[in-house]
Amino acid sequence: MKLITAILKPFKLDEVKEALQAAGINGMTVSEASGFGRQRGHTEVYRGAEYTVDLVPKVRLEVLVDDKDAASAVDVIVKAASTGSIGDGKVWTTPVEQVVRVRTGERGPDAI
Amino acid sequence: MGTRERRIRSNEGDLLLTQLFQSTLLEVDGADSDDVAIAAVGGFGRGELSPGSDLDILILHRGTLSEENLSSFVNKILYPLWDKKIKVDHSVRTRSEVREVAEADLKAILGLLDIRLVCGSAALVADVQIDALDEWRKNSKRRLPELESSLLERHQRSGELAYLLEPDLKEARGGLRDITAIRALEKSGAISIPMERISVAESLLSNVREALHIVSGRDKDKLFFQEQDKVAAHLGFADADVLMSEVAQAARSVDYLLDSTWYRLAHKGKDSAGRFLRKVRSTTLSRDISVANKEVTIDIDADFSLDPTIGLRACAAAAQLGLPISMDSLERLSAALKLGMTNLPNPWPRDARENLISLIGAGPAMVQIFEALDQEEIIFHWIPEWRAVRSLPQRNVLHRHTVDRHMVETAVQAAALTRKVHRPDLLLFSALFHDIGKGTDEDHSERGAALIAPLAKRIGFSSSDIKTIQLLVQHHLLLSATATRRDLDDPATITAVADLIPDLQTLELLHALSIADGEATGRAAWTDWKASLVAELVKRVGMALTDNTVAQQPELSEEQRTKAESGKLSVTIEDRENVYAIEIVIPDSTGVLSTVAGVLNLLRLDVRSARTKSVGNSAVMEWIVIPDPNAPALDEGKLHDEINRALKSRSTLSERIQARIDAYAELPTIPVPDPIVETFLDAATDATIIEVRSHDRPALLFGIGDSITRSSVDIRSAIVTTLGAEAIDTLYVTEIGGGPLTPERADEVALRLRAALK
Repeated sequence: MKLITAILKPFKLDEVKEALQAAGINGMTVSEASGFGRQRGHTEVYRGAEYTVDLVPKVRLEVLVDDKDAASAVDVIVKAASTGSIGDGKVWTTPVEQVVRVRTGERGPDAI
Repeated sequence: MGTRERRIRSNEGDLLLTQLFQSTLLEVDGADSDDVAIAAVGGFGRGELSPGSDLDILILHRGTLSEENLSSFVNKILYPLWDKKIKVDHSVRTRSEVREVAEADLKAILGLLDIRLVCGSAALVADVQIDALDEWRKNSKRRLPELESSLLERHQRSGELAYLLEPDLKEARGGLRDITAIRALEKSGAISIPMERISVAESLLSNVREALHIVSGRDKDKLFFQEQDKVAAHLGFADADVLMSEVAQAARSVDYLLDSTWYRLAHKGKDSAGRFLRKVRSTTLSRDISVANKEVTIDIDADFSLDPTIGLRACAAAAQLGLPISMDSLERLSAALKLGMTNLPNPWPRDARENLISLIGAGPAMVQIFEALDQEEIIFHWIPEWRAVRSLPQRNVLHRHTVDRHMVETAVQAAALTRKVHRPDLLLFSALFHDIGKGTDEDHSERGAALIAPLAKRIGFSSSDIKTIQLLVQHHLLLSATATRRDLDDPATITAVADLIPDLQTLELLHALSIADGEATGRAAWTDWKASLVAELVKRVGMALTDNTVAQQPELSEEQRTKAESGKLSVTIEDRENVYAIEIVIPDSTGVLSTVAGVLNLLRLDVRSARTKSVGNSAVMEWIVIPDPNAPALDEGKLHDEINRALKSRSTLSERIQARIDAYAELPTIPVPDPIVETFLDAATDATIIEVRSHDRPALLFGIGDSITRSSVDIRSAIVTTLGAEAIDTLYVTEIGGGPLTPERADEVALRLRAALK
């Protein structure tokens, strides 16, 4: 099993959610996040004063999938989240040792 | 379902206990009905039993039975009850033991206040009852604070019945335990309480609790989401929303009575050192309105029919001082409104509108006043639209409050943002009514925009202000929805928003309203993360709009220019029903603005707006002032003389104004946002602009003018606006010889001004 973590532009969340649902993935966790990547924030001028915006608002989306679905799920997210401009985000996967559904106690891929 | 059923259940309990008592008397050696008794306490003592409630009993004895016989007596009563699966909460005590417990345990004495004989020695129960009442009354100084802290602790723990999604009917604030507390307060004899105000609430909450016990089959008092539909059906309500709305309304009436009772008790005829006074000290605030016992009161002989603004004036005064209004005053006002004796004209006069804005802008202090206006049904006479959202529940995870309370909370949040906008009155008004369109299946923003226009018109806003208010209500969700769901880098997103918003002034209003709405909704709907997205959007949209936030210098008429050329002092007063428009042409000199402002202040004329401009050797000033009800009669000659006098001796003027400020300083205050002083170097060609935004206070303009004069700077023009209790003053200043200030000089003047406003 894999945990896919995606950092996205907030306005792309709805599209990514719909794309994942269309691909048969229904469960996900979404949280508010902020941070920066290679672009290192940016400098703004406001009412004459210059200041640096270093943390940009993003959403963090996490999805648990079976190994065989991981690659296609990543593709779905990347395709839906892309605008082609700086700050589109990142997607990564990490291996997951065990998953348990709390209500039933099911384990492994059955619990996804 | 109702009081009768609970009484029947209680009577059945009595009967059962009496039968057991009679048979036990015969079986136990030495048991005599003169020496033992069974008494009911708590709810059972009041003769009311819910299906799931315990039989709360006290077995009293005179200590004449041997220990063995006593325990056999008690067992013979309790075992049959336990066998019948009846829950019993019992204690076995002598009169002196009861006294000891009552002294030590608050809960015990509260139960004992409701003690009632079931069977056995009536004299014994009567003695215990007298002891309990005696203890409660004699030591009320110690016991009542004990009760108060237990309430506070419980309210903290259980939250507010009126606003929780899944409230505890007994424990929550405004619930049944609070009703018991009010009853105990009344029994202490320390204060008289109009108990009839909560009789409807008590029977409703008891009925809901009883229905909950029946449909859930358990004796728990927490009204869970899943039970609400069943309880509503059981009681014959249309749906759970109606049920929860009724529960909220009942809880609010309990809370209001409890709150105001504690307040009255705490401030009952005491001086500032806490000593009781024979004669109540009262301070007159304005005509017909005073402060006494730390409450704002409307004078007993005030004639509501002569002045329909008394109520609003009292509300604004109370909110701005952070004090409640006395219940008696509100009852008289409510009665006068019900009889149609004191209707506001349509549109409202200016001071009624200004007082409404001062009330809304008072921050947290406004909540208790608004709650009182709701409880006394006063608000519905002023704002009939409010009735449709009264205690209207919003049963979703985002909202903490009913619709009406949410709007009040939004206004509280908006009051903290008044320095961020140039029209605090529009912000506060829109905040208080932004969700007025809720309660149907229609889009509440659209419906709200349609409802707000006639309302704003009645309150007396101008047609351009009504347009802005409508826009704010219609688009109050625009910024947060766009910021989180649209690409801020896409120029089309920015254009789409900028197309809906006419100018920067409206954008800053909408931004402040979004923040206030979000903060009032709660952490589930508004986070720093979301706030930063919205701020980013606002910044980008702001760049696409024209800046109309800085007030422009006034233009003079030909006639005014001719007067100005004469170089003589002239005063013209126009009386516009409660408002004076005053034109003053005055030989120009440094400090002339603050001098005239000071004179007006001493004549008890409240400056609502002013536009002044220097031309040649004169300054032309147009003032709009509202006379204080205690102001002396005003005429042109008198004002002329007063200004002349002040020009001759500025130091005397300062002293007299300081004396007035000191007199005001004795009144309590509420926390308000700090004043803001901004300077704009490039916004005008021949002058530097200083903008001051501050909470209004006595002689504010005098102080601002005075501080600027002390910096050796000339005021060329001034645009002064007071909106409710918020003031915005824009000053075009130059160096004394002419020309704008250098950035360093501007900073220096601003620094001095900030210090003066502290």
